[in-house]
Amino acid sequence: MGGFTLCGRMLCWLLWGSPLALIGPLNLSVLAAEASQTKPPSFLFLPEKALDGLGYFSSLSLAAKFPEDLEITEDCLKLLLVFGQRYVDLVSCLVSSARPVEVCQNCYGAYSSFNETYSNITSDTMGPKNDSCQESLMHSDRLMLLYRLYSSLQTIWGSAECTSCLTKDHKGLLNSTLNFISSQNSTLSCFEKYKGNHSELCTECKVTYKRLNELYSNLEKNGSLCIDIEDAMNVTRRLWSKNFDCTVKREELVPVIAVSSFMLFLPVIFYLSNFLHSEQKKRKLIHPKRAKSNHSLMNIQDKFS
Amino acid sequence: MANITKKVSWSGRGEEGTPLLNGSEEVKYTRQLSGGGMFHIGRLSTVDLDEDITPEEDAVRSKPKEIPHNEKLLSLKYESLDYDNIENHLFLEEERRMGHMSFRCLEISRWVICGLIGVLTGLIACFIDIVVEKLAGVKYVVVKKSIDKNTEIGGMCISLILWAALNSAFVMVGAIIVAFFEPIAAGSGIPQIKCYLNGVKVPRVVRLKTLMVKVCGVICSVAGGLAVGKEGPMIHSGAVVAAGVSQGRSTSLKKDFKIFEYFRRDTEKRDFVSAGAAAGVSAAFGAPVGGVLFSLEEGASFWNQLLTWRIFFASMISTFTLNFVLSIYHKKTGELSSPGLINFGSFDLKSVKYNIYEIPLFIVMGAIGGLLGALFNVLNYWLTIFRIRYVHRPCLQVMEAMLVAAVTATVSFAMIYFSNDCQPLETQKSSEDYSLQGFCADGEYSAMATAFFNTPERSVRSLFHSPAGTYKLETLGCFTLVYFFLACWTYGLTVSAGVFIPSLLIGAAWGRLFGIMLPYIALNPSVFTDPGKYALMGAAAQLGGIVRMTLSLTVILVEATGNVTYGLPIMLVLMTAKIVGDYFIEVSEVLHSSPSYREVMSSPVTCFNRVEKVGTIVDVLSNTSTNHNGFPVIIQTAASEEPGKLCGLILRSQLIVLLKHKVFVERARSRLRQRKLQLKDFRDAYPRFPPIQSIHVSQDERECMMDLTEFMNPTPYTVPQDTSLPRVFKLFRALGLRHLVVVDDDNRVIGLVTRKDLARYHLGKHGLEELHLAHT
Repeated sequence: MGGFTLCGRMLCWLLWGSPLALIGPLNLSVLAAEASQTKPPSFLFLPEKALDGLGYFSSLSLAAKFPEDLEITEDCLKLLLVFGQRYVDLVSCLVSSARPVEVCQNCYGAYSSFNETYSNITSDTMGPKNDSCQESLMHSDRLMLLYRLYSSLQTIWGSAECTSCLTKDHKGLLNSTLNFISSQNSTLSCFEKYKGNHSELCTECKVTYKRLNELYSNLEKNGSLCIDIEDAMNVTRRLWSKNFDCTVKREELVPVIAVSSFMLFLPVIFYLSNFLHSEQKKRKLIHPKRAKSNHSLMNIQDKFS
Repeated sequence: MANITKKVSWSGRGEEGTPLLNGSEEVKYTRQLSGGGMFHIGRLSTVDLDEDITPEEDAVRSKPKEIPHNEKLLSLKYESLDYDNIENHLFLEEERRMGHMSFRCLEISRWVICGLIGVLTGLIACFIDIVVEKLAGVKYVVVKKSIDKNTEIGGMCISLILWAALNSAFVMVGAIIVAFFEPIAAGSGIPQIKCYLNGVKVPRVVRLKTLMVKVCGVICSVAGGLAVGKEGPMIHSGAVVAAGVSQGRSTSLKKDFKIFEYFRRDTEKRDFVSAGAAAGVSAAFGAPVGGVLFSLEEGASFWNQLLTWRIFFASMISTFTLNFVLSIYHKKTGELSSPGLINFGSFDLKSVKYNIYEIPLFIVMGAIGGLLGALFNVLNYWLTIFRIRYVHRPCLQVMEAMLVAAVTATVSFAMIYFSNDCQPLETQKSSEDYSLQGFCADGEYSAMATAFFNTPERSVRSLFHSPAGTYKLETLGCFTLVYFFLACWTYGLTVSAGVFIPSLLIGAAWGRLFGIMLPYIALNPSVFTDPGKYALMGAAAQLGGIVRMTLSLTVILVEATGNVTYGLPIMLVLMTAKIVGDYFIEVSEVLHSSPSYREVMSSPVTCFNRVEKVGTIVDVLSNTSTNHNGFPVIIQTAASEEPGKLCGLILRSQLIVLLKHKVFVERARSRLRQRKLQLKDFRDAYPRFPPIQSIHVSQDERECMMDLTEFMNPTPYTVPQDTSLPRVFKLFRALGLRHLVVVDDDNRVIGLVTRKDLARYHLGKHGLEELHLAHT
């Protein structure tokens, strides 16, 4: 594995003949160290990384045809390589925790290291030859692949609202979140225990279920809900209401109907009593002075009736 | 005299049936529905309308009759406004005195007043909006808590009673202040304002007290959960504000700021009131152009460009003020995106586009709207007649309103209780609405509750914008049916409230129902995916069917949706609704025909001589049975049998001011240095001229003489005696006249036609009908 990368580095030197590339391996090793800190499993994927490396040797030969100031520098290539690696890590993590949704709990590490890589690329640190990787990697073509990949993951992360479950530095879950998860686990284990008898389940697990609901509504008020919690709550509620059928039943049909019909009956009484007892309002008529009025008006009336 | 062939039709302007917006007032003043009990002239019945009594001619006619109230009565309460400037000597003198500069100042102060009207109207709208939101919020939170608790532990009846009691309590407050303090503030006030703009003064309609009662009443009735809206009363409020501001004083508060004195007469005041009405519409719907068109359509018959521009200014300022204050209230200062009280939400063209093949569907919906609107009006009409006859004591009216509120709560509760339509909860939504879970599974809410357990505006918005599948068929069906009858029952109660929102809500409900059913009957179901636009069209159709407005309503709705491309379908829908509705009941179409107006005019006329004895004047003015308002002034010729030659017209109000200041010929002689009466004295008395009874005239003074020359209008409008009735109508409508003197070839007074005389005649289904004047 190491041989491959070393080989690549040699080739780079040969082809580019630039002493600047010396900084490349240093950079890479630093990054690798960081990666190993935050996310140890990334080493498992190293063979793939090596394959990627191979892929770009062939492209490298193509790139050799361009004048050197138009193409990307060695260390940018390295950055690209790391970006790809982190991207793959994050996506595989997301997919593996898609159902039931545990995206935030499992992948916040992968996400933050992916974010870090991206910000490394975009940060405006000038290379020695006065060119930044941001220029060459981000703004060189209309496809803007890196940006699109990044923003698509960003959208997913945003709509999952994971940030509201994580600590400010994105290094761990909030206490409230952990609390909720443990409470949910206890509810589920209670469900498991009384699975056979639904009516018993409804009475026995009610306390823990109510507590879970309360926790949830508290979290909702604080605005610290993420998709993990919402989904867990949904699943639990569905189990409770649909599978075990523990919702409240309409048991007070008679009193409700009685009170409603009494209320509806009141206006009937009101109008009837008014109709029978209230005296009609009378109006006085005034008769205007009219010239020849009788004759002509009768005339008109005859005409029309 | 016999050819009654020519029919003149005119749309409901002037005296004739303004659209049925508020049953009770409307019916008192005009009549629309010519079905039912016809009341022919010479067929007076004593008790019941349908009971035929053979004509008894003059004997019966001469003494006052008492009959039950019916729609063919014209109340004497209602006075006309004098739009015609009284061009007497005083007036001309003042006009001459005023220089170029003072005309400039007047013009500027007109603009200032319009700006003030806009600002104040906007502020009132904000106040209503915020207070309603707070009160309703508190109520719904309390009821929701109780329901949530009682669903679990039992005792739903308690929640039901709590809800009903809260509703009744709010409505009781609203009804008491209306019924006991200011009955004119009942209803939306739109008919009264229309009357005012058309030259009919309903007493106390533009007073400060009315405004207060109106605002508080609206808040109470909307917070009380009645099927009413707060938009209609805004128009009235705007008009009151305008009438108050333009006068520069408040007679109720006894405070005179000594400004804007020039505007203290009917003509000027009317212009400002129309600006106020426009500002009210604009604040209510966020529709400045619609407001201007409303004023144009309903009001001013004489219209000039400058006035239109000023009115537009007032509306814009009003909607801007509302916007700005609400943005501060919602903590988004400076974001001007909530223009009206009712916010339809944005209808984005991308999400809700329509296609040409949907136009026929929209027209069908318009027809349905017209039908339902006609049904609504008929039901409401019968209810109103019943109310006027049997439920006329204030305490009964308050009780009725409370009952309606309690029943509204009960019915809503029952609907929610028995509904099985559950929808999954969305997290963002739950914070804004007061969603109820009821007996739904956890994590779901009852769809019926979003429709019933909400202020009407929010329900409308939810019907417009909720994604497809939010409501089930049966939910919407029940809702439409129940809400239709509730709204119909509520409308005409003694609370101040409008009919716009309930109409929109009924329409939106059946429109959405229509939209949901379409995919089932269509060949290609995927075409009709979004029921939101059908809800909008249904709302437009229903509103058009009930209020029968055309141009202004189209513009108001287009502006409220914020999407000009909906103009065509909304116009078509409203057109169809109006045509269909009018086919079933004529609301506004009134036919007039007669070969001559001779039958209409009063004759002989009560006239005054140019120099008249004070005693005669006092006697004529205090005769309650006649209660005339304008008197021709004549020069008596030698032959006293003949009617004298006309030389002017004088109004009751002027005579009263003259009597009050004791402007008698004898006095002028004895005290030469007495101050000359000026136009200012007339203006100070405006608009509440004291009644004649309050003016004391001693026995000596009765013998004095009064010279009317200087004060009368020397050039009144006259017509020759052979003019046809339609022609007289044209004159009245075009000039906004109040009195029209009929003269013969020698300029001798033969008769006098007044607005009221004309108002009393209309051609119903059974021929020419006469309305009876009644004391109230």
